Amino acid sequence: MRQEFFEEYEARIAALEERMQSFQAAIDAETAAQSRFSWKDQLEKYGLLVAWVLLILVLGIFRPDQMFSWPPYATMFGSQAMVVILTLGLIIPLTAGDFDLSIASVMTLSSMLVAVFNVQMGLELGPTIFFCLAIGAMIGLINAFFTLYFRIHSLIVTLGVGYFINGMVLWVSNSNTITGVSMNLIEGVILTRLLGVPIAFYYGLILTLIIWYVFEYTSVGRRLLFVGKGAEVARLSGVNLNRMRTGAFVASAIIGAFAGILYTGMRGAADPTSGLAFLLPAFAAAFLGSTAISPGRFNAIGAFVAVYFLSTGIMGLNFLGVDTFVQNLFYGGGLVLAVAISQLIRNRQPM
Amino acid sequence: MLKRATLTAGAIALAFPVAAQAGMDEAKALVETHRQLPGWEAPGEPFDARACMADKKMFVIPLTNANPFNATISQGMKQAADMVGFELTEWENQMQPDQWIQGIAQAVQEGYDLIDLQGGLPPEFLVPQITEARAAGVKVTATHNWDATTQEVPDFMDGAANTDYVTVGNIIAAWAIAQSEGNVNAVILGPDEITPTAPLRDAIMGYLDEHCPDCSYQYINAPVTEWATKIQPAVQSALLADSSINYVLPVYDSMSQFIVPAIRIAGREGDVKIVSYNGTPFVLDMMRDDDIVEMNVGESLGWVGFAGVDANMRLLCDEGTVTKLNTPAYIFDDSNVETAGVPATFNDGYGDVHIEEFRKLWGLAE
Repeated sequence: MRQEFFEEYEARIAALEERMQSFQAAIDAETAAQSRFSWKDQLEKYGLLVAWVLLILVLGIFRPDQMFSWPPYATMFGSQAMVVILTLGLIIPLTAGDFDLSIASVMTLSSMLVAVFNVQMGLELGPTIFFCLAIGAMIGLINAFFTLYFRIHSLIVTLGVGYFINGMVLWVSNSNTITGVSMNLIEGVILTRLLGVPIAFYYGLILTLIIWYVFEYTSVGRRLLFVGKGAEVARLSGVNLNRMRTGAFVASAIIGAFAGILYTGMRGAADPTSGLAFLLPAFAAAFLGSTAISPGRFNAIGAFVAVYFLSTGIMGLNFLGVDTFVQNLFYGGGLVLAVAISQLIRNRQPM
Repeated sequence: MLKRATLTAGAIALAFPVAAQAGMDEAKALVETHRQLPGWEAPGEPFDARACMADKKMFVIPLTNANPFNATISQGMKQAADMVGFELTEWENQMQPDQWIQGIAQAVQEGYDLIDLQGGLPPEFLVPQITEARAAGVKVTATHNWDATTQEVPDFMDGAANTDYVTVGNIIAAWAIAQSEGNVNAVILGPDEITPTAPLRDAIMGYLDEHCPDCSYQYINAPVTEWATKIQPAVQSALLADSSINYVLPVYDSMSQFIVPAIRIAGREGDVKIVSYNGTPFVLDMMRDDDIVEMNVGESLGWVGFAGVDANMRLLCDEGTVTKLNTPAYIFDDSNVETAGVPATFNDGYGDVHIEEFRKLWGLAE
């Protein structure tokens, strides 16, 4: 009887080793492919950037004064920084194979807590920001606990936690919008400019570069990718799955909380619901970004480009004065088309 | 011939500023009227409300309890009902149609005499339920939903106490004309899917057209669900595309929280002002603390609650029909915003003349 068990386990281990070898072969093939120049690969990697330039050129035909001048871009780079940061937060658990649907709720809670701590309780900005980030980390741990300990799909846990947080926000704010946040925060988000661009843009840029470096050049980034691509294989290779996935949830929630701080800093006010509207744009940018730079993987630079590609389209359509529904058509249609074209180039490999 | 043409051109040139001046004078007069503390205009004849309402009860379904606007109207309604001495129940909901449907069913089942769909709950969404309630003998009304002059109350309702949105829109446009000396270039924003948007929007644009020949504007539709993602980019783009824009006129003042960052980020703080409607406390706080929100047209929501109850009682007691709430529109600007409270509230700053006057009207005065 025991002999049969051993044989079965040995067979399973052999199968897993075979899968590991196939992963290794795929990585080797990818590395080898990267070392060979191919127009198709280049198009795949930089297609979104090319599309961005084309979009500017096409819109510029109709509105050259606006589309070919710097101030609109400087303004847009600043105002969309919060979406960049939210998207960067999303791609961490996505890389580990988990969804974080609570991230926009965390952002809204953090945004509201900034106002509650700073305006209603008179707390200085430093401790306010610290507490908001700490509460974000705590929510990340809660997401991780329910997902990993009870083995519930992250989609269900983060959906539930998100709803719970939405209720908390209405409770702590008494359903009101709170204004009067310290001008120092507004200064530190949009009023301070570098090369004409609000400072918030540089926060997004720095975070993009950090996440890009971690994903590409550190063992943590590589392990996170392995967890997302094949959890069982990663576990048998010695990767601590629980630690990696917990880290991803916590990082996502802290970044979500940071986006909330910027959201309040941008408006000088916090309201209990509007932040939730950014969940879908952030997911759209995360998926669109996964078709560029490192195609097939969620990656920071791709996400960064995707946010500004979509925002440029919306800005141009605003300049053209088109109806609101056209913007939705562009946003939704552009996302699906871009990902579909990318999949065609990649011979329709699973994402 | 040449002389006649020259004279005609001269007459036109002279007449044009005269017309503009007349428009300006009218705008300034309108603004001045609504800067005065709200006065009292009785909505109908006095009647003995306590006797009539002794065996009747009212059921109020607000658009949502999560909105302080609706909550404050409900408070006013409860205060009025307590004063008269009849039962008024508020149905707790979070803007979900299934909760509204359940509320109507509950009211019918518990034998209420009247259901009031309060503060923007669209009755058009609930026609089958309203028809069923009316068939069961329950009267169904709406408070503060339609415009009192340009929109008609549908046949499937028993009545509605409406708001004079046209006057509000006129005041917003008049203020911008008066402040800019007839040189308005405005971005007007509104969510087209909301019932009062059309009368407010059309009144603002119509007043500008009629009273200000040199004024210009553009309109942007911003659906409520997309305020957070749409308003800021749209206003930014408009400000960048046209540096002469000097006013942003959102039809509802809650939109201001997304417009302020657009003005700041476009580097137009100081040049571009926000003028709007609703008297929402956080917007009045913004006016007090910053220089971007310049004026807000508010109305006492406690008064709206009293006026809504008055209209409903008159319907139940056969004391005539009230179609227009008698709540006056009142201007808040830097000079009087502190009277709205620090922090501001929905009820402060308007005086409370209505409480005593309604008491007299309902035969409750000692």
